[in-house]
Amino acid sequence: MANVTFPFPFPEHLSSLMPEMFVAVIAMALLLLDLFIPREKKCITAYIAIATASVAALLCVSVNPAEPLVGFYGFFVLDQFAVFAKVLICLATALAMVLSVQYMKDLENVGEYYVLMLFAMLGMMLMSSANNFIVMYLGLELMALCIYVLVGYQRDILRSNEAALKYFILGALSSCMLLYGVTFLYGVTGSFDFVTIGKGLADAGSSSHTAVMLGLVFIIAGLAFKVSMAPFHMWTPDAYEGAPTPVTAFMSVAPKVAGFVIFIRILDQAMPALQHEYTMILSAIAVLTMAVGNLAAIAQRNIKRMLAYSTVGHVGFVMLGLIAANDDGYAGILVYMSIYLFMTMGAFAIIIIMQREGIQGELLDDFSGLSKARPGYALAMGLMLFSLAGIPFLGGFWAKYAVFIAAVEAGHVYLVLYALLFSAVGAFYYIRLVKYIYFDDARVQFNFSESRLMQLTVVLMAIAVVALGVYPDPLMDLCKSAVAAMI
Amino acid sequence: MLETVFFDLFAGLSVIAGMGVVLARNTMHSVMFLIFCFFNAAGLFFMLDAEFLGVIMILIYVGAVMVLFTFVVMMLEINTARLREGFLQYLPVGGLIAIVLMIEFIGAASSGVFTSGAMATAEHLPQQVNNTVEIGQILYTKYLLGFEIAAIVLLVALVGAVVLTLRTRKDAKYQKIAAQVNVRKEDRMRKVRM
Repeated sequence: MANVTFPFPFPEHLSSLMPEMFVAVIAMALLLLDLFIPREKKCITAYIAIATASVAALLCVSVNPAEPLVGFYGFFVLDQFAVFAKVLICLATALAMVLSVQYMKDLENVGEYYVLMLFAMLGMMLMSSANNFIVMYLGLELMALCIYVLVGYQRDILRSNEAALKYFILGALSSCMLLYGVTFLYGVTGSFDFVTIGKGLADAGSSSHTAVMLGLVFIIAGLAFKVSMAPFHMWTPDAYEGAPTPVTAFMSVAPKVAGFVIFIRILDQAMPALQHEYTMILSAIAVLTMAVGNLAAIAQRNIKRMLAYSTVGHVGFVMLGLIAANDDGYAGILVYMSIYLFMTMGAFAIIIIMQREGIQGELLDDFSGLSKARPGYALAMGLMLFSLAGIPFLGGFWAKYAVFIAAVEAGHVYLVLYALLFSAVGAFYYIRLVKYIYFDDARVQFNFSESRLMQLTVVLMAIAVVALGVYPDPLMDLCKSAVAAMI
Repeated sequence: MLETVFFDLFAGLSVIAGMGVVLARNTMHSVMFLIFCFFNAAGLFFMLDAEFLGVIMILIYVGAVMVLFTFVVMMLEINTARLREGFLQYLPVGGLIAIVLMIEFIGAASSGVFTSGAMATAEHLPQQVNNTVEIGQILYTKYLLGFEIAAIVLLVALVGAVVLTLRTRKDAKYQKIAAQVNVRKEDRMRKVRM
């Protein structure tokens, strides 16, 4: 016992962890500070949290390295790819919190809501920088635990509880699958490190094939749950419908960014030797995901459920980037995610505004005649929907274009044709809502009173969608260079 | 030889206990089977020279987690008969998946990964190796980042549980201690001219 030695030096590149440390410290401080903020002034907590997320995004940019840095004994990697993803995650979190200020203000314990959002953001930031299954899993659980609670935050509403419970049970099951898959890879290669596993699998040879395949399948299934790929999407509509609307907005963007980033890292670094196998598995899942998402969305009368299935459909399109398995495909995923963030946040902002005295504003019928009463919001919602449908010269078109082209170049022509078909199916239900907004008569009064902040958000998102539609080149170049600098 | 016998004993009993958890009609029996399963798992850890993990398994899982489970089971009234409705309806699909998985697991186990290389030749650790010291050293150095994140995960679990269950009842009467202490004679007493 006397000669206990510490064989490991102080962690390298501690400063590369600065954004995460900042978020963790502020979130914990806010948890305490919130005790001293009176109930009617809880918006102070919200503004501090929004500021934290924004500053974290700036800090991420400030630590942006030219060369990938691997620190913490290989657990943590900081490259431009991770920085890009983290900025998207911080932005999505900040926007979701902006959408929450008005919506959540009458809720009990609202201070902790923002703290949990910050912790979820922290989990996702760590996931984007994970270089190791341990950090990946812990980041994933940190994110998932926060979101389970956030989904069930409206405790007095039955469907919120139901959504939280369903999401929690399926999420726990998917975590088990993921971990079980990881143990197989650990058994074969003796490591949790992505790069070491990649090397080990390349050397392992055919004797370990069954074990490795089981590991691969379980890991893909576990992650597929988190990004709601069919047939692992069952929780999505219920969780989206039951969650408070700002949380739905948050869930439909930020975890998807983190999920796809970690998907890319695992497939690209840990499993290059299995590219043939995982391409086949992912292609099958993508075919199913696109069909389920876009077809089921047509049957929905509730807009949150419709957008849930629409998310599933979009995930199917994004998967083309994974299947392409090259830099263009990965850059396409980043482009898709960035543009999807603006479209979704804009659409959900308008849904939140639609919620008013006695009316949930979540049925498609509730949007009837919006154009006559509030032409501004009608125009913004129309833009978001057209963009989600992928109509040219709006952001959504370039998002699809980026991943479709990458998949074609990688030789998956039939898959892209299939995706185009379901893209057209998807356009149907988006444009059906535009019909409600512009061509139907109002059933109800539009007497909602939205805050300046919400108005500003809608305007900014609309501008972003149009601007990216007209001039997408800077974003595309940024994504390409981020992927090129990936470790 | 003796080691194999003990391995078979612990492994076999933990499988039987695991099946007992699922099949027991009484929820309390399920909990007891789970405790038995954890004891056997702890035995397996001891056989792998991981005595620290074995002890932790018994202390934390049996000592703390399962006691909590017992309380929860006793407080909830779970009607297992109702939960079992539709069991036969799902049996064909569920059973098929279970059989396919079983075949895959057997395939993976017999694929040669676990019978060759470093795993086949693993020997017992020398007696002076202290598990607790080793884990302590590596946990606070190499695995520091994971350790710290795990701490935050626990904090979030705590905050989440409190947030979801704490209710300030509006109809309940609270004691305002500060007001009680600060009260003056004039607030409570009034001179009345009779």
